[in-house]
Amino acid sequence: MRLHEYEALDIFEQNGIPVPRRGIAGTMHEALHIAGEIGYPVMLKAQVLVGGRGLAGGIRTASTPDELKEVADSLLGSDIKGLPVRKILVCEKAEIAQELYLGITIDGYSGKPVIVVSTEGGVLIEETARTSPEKIAAIHIDPNFGYYPYLARSLLRMLGLKQQLITAWSDVIGQLYNIALRYESLIAEINPLVVLPNGGLLAVDAVLEVDDSALSRIRFTLPDRVDRIENPLERRGRAIGVTYVDLDGDIGIISSGAGLGMASMDIIGEKMKPANFLETGGGITADLLYRCMDLIMMKQGLRAIFINVYGGINPIHEGAKGVIRYIQEHNVKIPIVAKALGNRQEETWEIFRSGGVHVVTEAATEKAIDKLYELVGPA
Amino acid sequence: MSILINDSTRVIVQGITGRIGSAQTHWMLEYGTKVVGGVTPGKGGSSVEGVPVFDSVNEAVKETGANASVFFVPAAFVLDAFLETIDAGVKLIVIVPEHIPVKDVVKMRSYAIEKGVFALGPTTPGILAPGKGKMGIMPASMFAPGRVGIISRSGTLSYEFAGILSENHVGQSTVVGMGADPVVLRNLADILELFEEDEGTDAVIVVGEVGGEQEEKAAGFISRRMKKPVAAYIAGKHSPQGKRMGHAGAIVRGTSGTVQGKHEALRAAGAEVLESPIHVAQWAKKYNLK
Repeated sequence: MRLHEYEALDIFEQNGIPVPRRGIAGTMHEALHIAGEIGYPVMLKAQVLVGGRGLAGGIRTASTPDELKEVADSLLGSDIKGLPVRKILVCEKAEIAQELYLGITIDGYSGKPVIVVSTEGGVLIEETARTSPEKIAAIHIDPNFGYYPYLARSLLRMLGLKQQLITAWSDVIGQLYNIALRYESLIAEINPLVVLPNGGLLAVDAVLEVDDSALSRIRFTLPDRVDRIENPLERRGRAIGVTYVDLDGDIGIISSGAGLGMASMDIIGEKMKPANFLETGGGITADLLYRCMDLIMMKQGLRAIFINVYGGINPIHEGAKGVIRYIQEHNVKIPIVAKALGNRQEETWEIFRSGGVHVVTEAATEKAIDKLYELVGPA
Repeated sequence: MSILINDSTRVIVQGITGRIGSAQTHWMLEYGTKVVGGVTPGKGGSSVEGVPVFDSVNEAVKETGANASVFFVPAAFVLDAFLETIDAGVKLIVIVPEHIPVKDVVKMRSYAIEKGVFALGPTTPGILAPGKGKMGIMPASMFAPGRVGIISRSGTLSYEFAGILSENHVGQSTVVGMGADPVVLRNLADILELFEEDEGTDAVIVVGEVGGEQEEKAAGFISRRMKKPVAAYIAGKHSPQGKRMGHAGAIVRGTSGTVQGKHEALRAAGAEVLESPIHVAQWAKKYNLK
């Protein structure tokens, strides 16, 4: 789960990281009030959960109340990369002597936490990593050994910094590492970490993504996970316990695995357009597939449904019963093609056929999509 | 021949008394796997599908001579049970459960590598050697004995590729699910190495997906070390770009993780890139694989 910048800044502040004076506003008047307390000029930052927000016009400056009114009005209610701006963060505009980068993530390949630092923070950090790798340094942390402050100090020495900056920066690294551990984050990042004219540091941005699989055991209060999903269908998917991604096509997909779902999208995408990605994981029951049918049928203009499931861990015969119950109760008229293989496949085919579902018994998903295309043709 | 599983593999099932553990024990036994025991703390002395249940891994290993373990333990308890299993001397462990916190997987991976244990997962369907046995949840009807190895990040796609091959009368030596999580207990290249060394395997199929850098790293191994033909399919060509935040992952990797990036790396390494799963049949025919 990704936290909003304002939520992450609160956590950073509670853990001792220096952050700007700020307030969160849902209306122009709230923004005006906060700016009055902080003093002009202020930064206005759209709170949307997407990268590249600054380049998309979501981060602006206001030097006077009039300017703030104008900027706040244009940001609130607008869209940044398709996401509605409901709140803006109003914060003091820091004087910048230098912009640093600090990120902590889990390196998937080595399976270890890694701390990444750069003396050239800012929106072009990935570009810097490619063109000037000498300005980037990284250190993996051995999970059995743990983190110690000297690791941060020696990391920063690799960048050839002065001791004053090393001391201040390594403190922030220790604080952020502590947050990453306690909040079980997949990414904890400050970009930029600003060096002030007096040599102090200030985290003017905050990224924190918490491991969904760890949410139930994190001891700190976190915002609700389902509430923050903007798309109503995706929110519904999360609520019933499946992964649903809304797309702009008209062929609905239910799959029992992420890889199979992606392959189904790829194959459908050659001639038609998928309406969604839906993956059940290993928890199929009759009720779950009933709810999945209900969910994908909420999409307007659906022309057909493709069900692609394997009976390995999943009782697919149970799933088929749920699909059929939905078809009968809701008098579904659009064509449904199902490929269901594995344990109890014959029984599953019988159940699907009893409800008028077209069953394809070959292993290749391409064959099933050919059948679907035969039934509905191009859009 | 096969990799990881052979005639001397003696399996214990952890979490055997659970709904999934007991159902999967049934399917593993039916496939001919030597399931010699199960472990559920507090349920020792009972039996599931005729298999004796023990309270601890140590006891199970001592009583049954088990050398491999497959997990159907609830995610929250996996780390603890995994460390217990390594300390009991088990050298092959398959972690089927999904939703295990990454922080736990990081510890598991580190301890397993330190102790020389070969572990797969989390979120893996396991291993199946056609005609020999299986550890995990792979549905037996998709597989046939033969000489092609399959490694897949996705469980369901491992069945799909085996199924397409089997329908075309091409069998498999071993099918391995490496796990779908961002951190897995063994990397793709480690499993490729086993197939390269296996006398029963003539060629290998890699089934990958968008994201991470397993395939890019494996491409390095393929170009340096593999003599056997490799075909690769990467799922996710039409997947929408994630609303990615943060840069640290991309900086550390230095790779894009896109389908196109993976295709380029694999082609440069000499692997054949399959644009769609069904193309695996023609590839197998070209090399006259059985």
